[in-house]
Amino acid sequence: MTDVQIRNFSIIAHIDHGKSTLADRLLQATHAVSDREAKAQLLDSMDLERERGITIKASSVTVPHVHKGQQYMLNFIDTPGHVDFSYEVSRALKACEGAILVVDASQGVEAQTVVNAYLAIEQDLEIIPVLNKIDLPAARPDEIAMEVEQALGLPAEDCISVSAKTGQGIPELLDAICERLPSPRKPVTDKTRALIFDAIYDDYRGVIIYIRVFDGVLRVGEKIHMMGLGRTFQITELGKYMPKPVKVKELGPGETGYLVAAIKTLGDVRVGDTITRDLDPADEALEGYAPPNQMVFCDFYPATSDDGKTPDFEEMRDAMDRLALNDASYTYQAVHSEALGFGFRCGFLGLLHMDIIQERLEREGKLSVVQTAPTVSYKVLRRTKGGETELIEVHNPGDLPDPSTILEIREPICRVEVMTPVDKIGEVMKLSLERRGTYKSQTHISETRQLLTFEIPLAELIYDFYDKLKGLTSGYGTMDYEISGYHADNLVKVDILITGEPVEALALIAHKDRAAARGKLLLGRLRKVIDRHNFEIPLQAAIGGKIIARETIKAFRKDVTAKCYGGDVSRKRKLLDKQKKGKEKMKSIGSVNIPQKAFMAVLDSGE
Amino acid sequence: MTNDIAISLPEQRPRQTARRLLADAGESLAPAQGPRSLYIHLPFCAHKCHYCDFYSIVDRQDRQLAFTQRLQRELLAQAPLAAPLESIFVGGGTPTLLAPALWTDLLTTLDRAFDLSPIRSGQGEFSVECNPETATPELFDVLVAGGVNRISIGAQSFNTNHLHTLERRHDPANVARSVELARGAGIGRQSVDLIFAVPGQSLEEWTGDLERAIGLGTEHLSCYALTYEPNTAMTARLERDEFIRADEDLEADMYELTVERLRAQGLDRYEVSNYARPGRECAHNMAYWRQHDWLAAGPSASGHVAGHRWKNTPRLDDYLSIDDEGFAPIIEHEPPDGRRAMRERIMTGIRLREGLEIDVVCAAAERVAPGARRRLETSAAWHKEVGLLIERDRRWVLTDAGFLMGDRVASDLMDALA
Ligand SMILES: Nc1nc2c(ncn2[C@@H]2O[C@H](COP(=O)(O)OP(=O)(O)OP(=O)(O)O)[C@@H](O)[C@H]2O)c(=O)[nH]1
Ligand code: SF4
Ligand SMILES: [Mg+2]
Repeated sequence: MTDVQIRNFSIIAHIDHGKSTLADRLLQATHAVSDREAKAQLLDSMDLERERGITIKASSVTVPHVHKGQQYMLNFIDTPGHVDFSYEVSRALKACEGAILVVDASQGVEAQTVVNAYLAIEQDLEIIPVLNKIDLPAARPDEIAMEVEQALGLPAEDCISVSAKTGQGIPELLDAICERLPSPRKPVTDKTRALIFDAIYDDYRGVIIYIRVFDGVLRVGEKIHMMGLGRTFQITELGKYMPKPVKVKELGPGETGYLVAAIKTLGDVRVGDTITRDLDPADEALEGYAPPNQMVFCDFYPATSDDGKTPDFEEMRDAMDRLALNDASYTYQAVHSEALGFGFRCGFLGLLHMDIIQERLEREGKLSVVQTAPTVSYKVLRRTKGGETELIEVHNPGDLPDPSTILEIREPICRVEVMTPVDKIGEVMKLSLERRGTYKSQTHISETRQLLTFEIPLAELIYDFYDKLKGLTSGYGTMDYEISGYHADNLVKVDILITGEPVEALALIAHKDRAAARGKLLLGRLRKVIDRHNFEIPLQAAIGGKIIARETIKAFRKDVTAKCYGGDVSRKRKLLDKQKKGKEKMKSIGSVNIPQKAFMAVLDSGE
Repeated sequence: MTNDIAISLPEQRPRQTARRLLADAGESLAPAQGPRSLYIHLPFCAHKCHYCDFYSIVDRQDRQLAFTQRLQRELLAQAPLAAPLESIFVGGGTPTLLAPALWTDLLTTLDRAFDLSPIRSGQGEFSVECNPETATPELFDVLVAGGVNRISIGAQSFNTNHLHTLERRHDPANVARSVELARGAGIGRQSVDLIFAVPGQSLEEWTGDLERAIGLGTEHLSCYALTYEPNTAMTARLERDEFIRADEDLEADMYELTVERLRAQGLDRYEVSNYARPGRECAHNMAYWRQHDWLAAGPSASGHVAGHRWKNTPRLDDYLSIDDEGFAPIIEHEPPDGRRAMRERIMTGIRLREGLEIDVVCAAAERVAPGARRRLETSAAWHKEVGLLIERDRRWVLTDAGFLMGDRVASDLMDALA
């Protein structure tokens, strides 16, 4: 063991800059997988990851390597690029001494590049900047190296140019990993301390914990103690992903691997916790990290699928429970809505996360669900009956207390980094102002691009901010955000009434000055998605009983097929039969049939 | 300009032919109870109109002969099943595009294989669809000699802009010419087809079209709201936002205006989109809507005999190459099903001015679906309450408002037999 050098590093980058592909090349170059086994983005093992071509969960692997006659053990973690999963990046970095910062040599430094690089710098990691995709004709490695220097302060000459596609530059990168990245720090105590940096659920073996050992040794058969949660388990298996799981007897200082200990649910494990030996425990835990906060919320209700089946509440609960086993970062709680019946209110890290959970529910749980428009988590300061003040958390406009007791509503504010072409700065500024943003600062990246920093309420981001940004920068703008705190603003609840009945699932919280416009917009969209009926349907938006906007869906005038001849009979009969099923698929409010998509209307882009 | 739109035909390959099902049907028919109607589909067109979802192929004149021979074999195969024919309808496609000599062959075979005496005596009806562009005295003489006594002229519009939107190529003046030609040739009954709610069409423009059609003095008019059928160029263009579809209110206004205007001219609505002078309704279409039996020949033609419904292959290649003792390859077959038949009877019957005979329909429905009578009555009561339906001479009949909501009423009544 002593003569093997260890390197622990993460691969970080902006989304799609080629982290997973680069990981493939490292596996191949170190012969961890044969050329035949090397399929694209090997570490993206979830179906959804493969389909969407993105990484959702970080994965860690160990490969042996020989450099200048010296044996090395390279432990590396491929991380996800999408903003919603940046907490995965931060905890991966905690397990490492170094980071490979991948920058697409045709795209350059993007918002996420900057944010991830700063995460690594904050943790004192050694960074190797890598310019990827140099095989592309549009690659500009020299220019991009300057951007790296300008934006991140990493010397341009430190950059290594590679192509994760052709393998060009990979040997040089391996050299740099061995030569430039530091060895793991020396143990500071002889007691065992290992950091849990991830955990997944496996149908056969229960929870599998990913650990990085900092001090001491872990051995199979030993009893371990989780210092934070205070629970004790016995290790049944230790191993490393190479990338196939390979069992080992022990894991020593500086090593990364997995641990199985007959743990039944993810709830029994907290990522960021420290594992120590039960017999000879450490005095102090390693510096961990807080679990991520759910910032975006929406409700799922059972819906009728095309085959006419409606899942019941219990089926939904089962599916929710199963998903939670695999993803400890979403929360769920049973709710009841007047319009939609029994369902679940779920919390997510961001919009993509929400999308993914919905898709997994439908796919893995084989359920069809109605999803309400997402909202953010508000903090409401209110006066209690006893005259005290208290701060409560509200995840849905429908849960706001009586307006007369509300002292203020605070909302999550994000620090938003936007990378934009210089000629679009004006428009980007305008967009963020429209979204109640405040401009903070500007960083020069290159002659053509600037990094702008804003503070923008999360509630304004989760609507179509990113789409808008992409649109007005012709696809060149990128962004990243992190929650920086809560601010009070003049926020009000806007009720939506259909034929005079308030529909909680459609209510929204908006800034007072913009409530009327938002209400009007939403009513306009509802008018488009709700079919005409045999009667007129008034739609209204109201603040505390005062109507601020209205629309009307006119009564049906025509519902008849023009032609129905001999050859049309079968087809038309089937059509009418299908329409009948369609009718069932709607949720009715009073006697108004509301299509499922109406509940997402709040989200739609476009004015 | 917009001719480059590719329309995909369903890639259905036929697996069986109509022979077996027609043999089954024949066995269950009482003597002399065979079909009294026949539909023939001629698939050739000079050009594909953009709203069209009929099966038609652009004619290159090279397959007309082979087609006509194949069609005659099919007619001969089906003929033994038929009772004396009370109606024949030749549709398309553009039937008037078939060469007169081939028409003569076709008509001769019809005369030989079927008993056309009801038609010859003037009681029965023999209609041919006619494209205004292709009407010639020569052709009309051939048709009259073969027993044709009614033509249905596809005018669609008299406004060149709107014809252009529909990608319909004819000179509006040819409509009047065709009517004159038909009259001159002795084809006593004429009908004109119009389309309304064309994108960009105003209420005034539609009134103009209607007046021109009325001016022709025909006994029958069909006025269809433009329908965006799946897999048509028109629908593709709509989805690409090439134009805006007519607003529902405008469409309804146009429909109401049509009913009123034609009624004042003695052309009464007897089906959702069809108007005729008393006694001049299209007997062939009435046979469809009353769920009578009819035979069907030619690619994509659909027939209905003794509870069986079937549809011939729409592909000319398959139609020409597969020949099962004359019977054609089919792509759809629905065997007899009492509930289905009742649903269809309600669906098409309610669209008629004569409506549904309450006692007959309820009794028949109850036979195939116990409890259906009560469900039908409940549904009818509700539609009466909201003014879509009335009871007249022990029949359920749509009101004027009900005609605009025909599908809704139909689907509701049909639910009684779901
Ligand atoms: N031409 C070229 N394409 C590359 C190269 N590296 C990656 N790609 C392509 O870039 C796309 C994104 O690659 P990934 O490896 O999935 O990127 P990623 O950074 O892991 O993406 P996320 O995990 O979603 O953040 C894929 O289509 C790759 O095939 C390269 O060196 N050259
Ligand atoms: S509408 Fe008539 S003429 Fe036009 S393509 Fe269709 S079948 Fe042929
Ligand atoms: Mg990836």
